[in-house]
Amino acid sequence: MLNRHSIHYFVGLTALLLVLFNNSHGEGLPPLTHNLTPVNTTIKAPELRFQNMDEEMVDIKDLKGKVVVVNFWATWCPPCRREMGSMERLYQAVKDKNVVILAVNIGEDMDTVFSFLGMVEPTPNFQMLFDYEAVSMNKWGVKGLPTTYIIKPDGTIAYTAVGGREFDHPNIIQKLTQLGL
Amino acid sequence: MKYIIIASMVGLFPFSIYADVPQKRHIDPVTSAITWKTHVEGVYFSLTQILPEQAKAFFVNRGFSLEQIESYTSSCVYMTVLRNDSAPGDIHFIRNNWLILVKNMPHKLVPVSEWVKRLSTTGAKKSAVIAFRWAQFPPEQEYKPGGDWNQGMLSIGLPPGSIFDVIAKWDIADKEYEAKLAEVQCAK
Repeated sequence: MLNRHSIHYFVGLTALLLVLFNNSHGEGLPPLTHNLTPVNTTIKAPELRFQNMDEEMVDIKDLKGKVVVVNFWATWCPPCRREMGSMERLYQAVKDKNVVILAVNIGEDMDTVFSFLGMVEPTPNFQMLFDYEAVSMNKWGVKGLPTTYIIKPDGTIAYTAVGGREFDHPNIIQKLTQLGL
Repeated sequence: MKYIIIASMVGLFPFSIYADVPQKRHIDPVTSAITWKTHVEGVYFSLTQILPEQAKAFFVNRGFSLEQIESYTSSCVYMTVLRNDSAPGDIHFIRNNWLILVKNMPHKLVPVSEWVKRLSTTGAKKSAVIAFRWAQFPPEQEYKPGGDWNQGMLSIGLPPGSIFDVIAKWDIADKEYEAKLAEVQCAK
């Protein structure tokens, strides 16, 4: 049963979400772009091995030969939420073109992520991995969420994107498709 | 000149000028939260008020108790955005080099690592502390031109209603740049 405190904080949380999202489309926040930064030196993707929603272990080492999109995110991170729908549209556009998407959730449990995914339109069908202790952040050099890496079939990093993006933009779809050929 | 003055008076020029830096102030019609923002040398910088009750709601939902998070949520917290739209190169910043001025006197930011240390000793759940750490605006970061950016929380460490100036600093190939937001007000 809801008590005064829970109502109070529900109202507060709603107001915060309004701060974070209401102005995300208006005066407050910049629009998401579709730029990916090419990595011009040869940098091998760090290790990444976590459970997915089905509690199966997924290891990036086993995905050699494929283009892998690694996206670090959390449900409470406003730009992560903003870009999630576009990530699914990207997935639908490239899933048959040798491209895999791994969205690595930082520090949250499966129930929290599952509830959130039900609210995303379109609902994500790509792999969700769970880094409960945020151990991948240092290994990958992530300093803020979201951060995304595009890994070439040879296991080296092709592109990075710090901050939210519109991942279903034709430029990004084209870049990933070319990498997967 | 006469027309510029008249245009300013009727609001056609919504920019204020503080120390040669144009800044804009926007009040969200739904939440009443105030945003201060500026665009300097291809870099966008903004602060948006987060009310103490809103910050409490966010962190209680991440697993903190009110007691555990009270010192942070009452410390004048902003949603901060820095974005490299079209700077002449990669920008790099260290957040603790940013300057907070209260009545022209410098005021020191509490480092994120110090907040994490404090909150870790309150008995807060590890998942809550992880969410806290990664919800903060990065202590150090690099952004490539073309839209690299972050959005995160920044505690100024001042009482509600305080007024201050903030000077965000970054460098591009060892050359320093800065953006100032003047007369920013902590939410009450």
